[in-house]
Amino acid sequence: MQKNVTAVTLISLCVVLFTSLLTLFMGVYQFENGIVDTLFQLFQTDTTWKETDWFVLMHLRIPRIVMALLVGCCLAVSGTSLQGMFKNPLASPDLIGMTSGAVLFAGITIVLGSYIKKYLPEMLYFSMVGILSFVGSLLSMLLVYGMAQTNKKTNIVLLLLSGVAISAICGATTGLLTYVSTDEELRNLTFWTLGSLGGANWTKNAILAVVTGVGLCILLPKGKALNAFLLGENDAKHLGIPVEKIKTQIIITTALMVGTCVAFCGTIGFIGLIVPYILRLLFKSNYLYILPLSAVLGSFIMVVADTVSRTVVAPSEIPIGILTAFMGAPVFILLLIRYKKGKI
Amino acid sequence: MIHAKQISYTSNQRKLIDKVSIDLHPGEFIAIIGPNGAGKSTLLSLLSNEIEGKEAQEITLKDQKYTTWNLQKLAQHKAKFSQSQQHEIPLIVEEVVRMGRYPYYQQQPLKNDHHIVTEMLSLLEIESLAKRPYNQLSGGEKQRVHLARVLAQLQNDHVNKTIILDEPLNNLDVAHQFKILNLLKNYATQGNVVLMVLHDINLAGTFADKILLLKNGKCLGFDKPQHILTSEIISDAYEFPCVVCSNPITNLPLILFGN
Repeated sequence: MQKNVTAVTLISLCVVLFTSLLTLFMGVYQFENGIVDTLFQLFQTDTTWKETDWFVLMHLRIPRIVMALLVGCCLAVSGTSLQGMFKNPLASPDLIGMTSGAVLFAGITIVLGSYIKKYLPEMLYFSMVGILSFVGSLLSMLLVYGMAQTNKKTNIVLLLLSGVAISAICGATTGLLTYVSTDEELRNLTFWTLGSLGGANWTKNAILAVVTGVGLCILLPKGKALNAFLLGENDAKHLGIPVEKIKTQIIITTALMVGTCVAFCGTIGFIGLIVPYILRLLFKSNYLYILPLSAVLGSFIMVVADTVSRTVVAPSEIPIGILTAFMGAPVFILLLIRYKKGKI
Repeated sequence: MIHAKQISYTSNQRKLIDKVSIDLHPGEFIAIIGPNGAGKSTLLSLLSNEIEGKEAQEITLKDQKYTTWNLQKLAQHKAKFSQSQQHEIPLIVEEVVRMGRYPYYQQQPLKNDHHIVTEMLSLLEIESLAKRPYNQLSGGEKQRVHLARVLAQLQNDHVNKTIILDEPLNNLDVAHQFKILNLLKNYATQGNVVLMVLHDINLAGTFADKILLLKNGKCLGFDKPQHILTSEIISDAYEFPCVVCSNPITNLPLILFGN
């Protein structure tokens, strides 16, 4: 069975890569030579590129798709890990207010940071936005966690309601920010609330790649621990699992991943809810399977959703957050129905 | 093995455990009995490193304080079966039992781990349930799944292991009760320690080498069954009259409650 999972992960990874290659050629701009030739051209050094072809490919499409892959992976793995930690499939970064906390801090950084932006190198500026939204999501996470934890158990109702409260505060403050921001900042702020991968570039991707890499190294080996959490925290400890240490690692790592994603593409909701939901249908709650697979499936859903978002109303585009909300909200309702029936 | 000296535990200003001392030696099968609210589960939690009292405690396992044990190593020497098992575990039975092997491998279970899981499943007569979802099982079946898991956790080459069980016989029919007690008794005679809370005084009298009688957090006696199972001590502890006669099958003391 374990070998099967490695195989399934590898196969689905190939599917994701293939899909990414396909979506590279979908969009308003059509490449002069068609898909196949353009692809071959990529691997030849001596060909001359049409300038627009090169620009669209290297500065618009590829960075955007890479970003979709990284962001999808981050959000899905964060969602799965949080659900494991809270032992509840309703927990996800956006529902418990992590995303809102990150938006607030990123918003403040953008508005206040505009005064110093021109003096900073791009890498440093984006890192700063990333770090502060990490701080934002970490703070809201700690607050929500403190609220929902009673007697070593998580009260899921308190968890979700604390998330609502935090989202409200953050939403109000972000709204206030729009009155003190300039036009350019305002556009940035609006795009946050809806989410978009339109701002993708290589600097952001480099930062995201590092965060994703570190995050996956920490979270993916946690499958055993999260399975043991299903027994309850005491029994997990009897199995030799350092419960508190693992919870701290998960809180910090997911805050880092979610914070960075929010800093660069705004609130793309529900990915952390949909992906584990789908995987649970196939593998039950076995985190040894659903953790690695959520990384792959998250990337896949994100790439597809982003492609839809930029092609369906071309030449304009739908914010991707709208699409994921349309997918995620029904899943949320389905989960609530199961919760009502006492099956969670 | 486990050595605890004058341990106490206070919660919400109520003394749940009051200066209990206990010393367990390899090969012993110990039963803890006592009326409701005596502190039986709390005592097990203290002895198994699940909770820590605010008072400085002196509890050692193999002459080493719990704080100095490596958690994963500790899991190979001591296992605990908890009373309030989580009701919802959305996994198949086999995976739940395999958790008992988590202290032994990093990511991939080894051949030996698979072997032990199969062995424990058949030992507890649940091999036919291996691929069934845990949530669909009956109470008694779930109980046996966790017993298999806890036993799988202690299958290794270390000597003198400790298994701590909180009412492992709940929901089990009489045949399975005897089967599991025999199994644990056998496990104890291999040089291990079995420490369990039992509700059934007569089963405790039949199987235990020593009985610890607990009431209001205090130890009323820790001795061989024939010294604990007397009508005065038991009726006093349970505040209910009883008589002691001889069990016609085993010739051991048999407690009958009633006026």
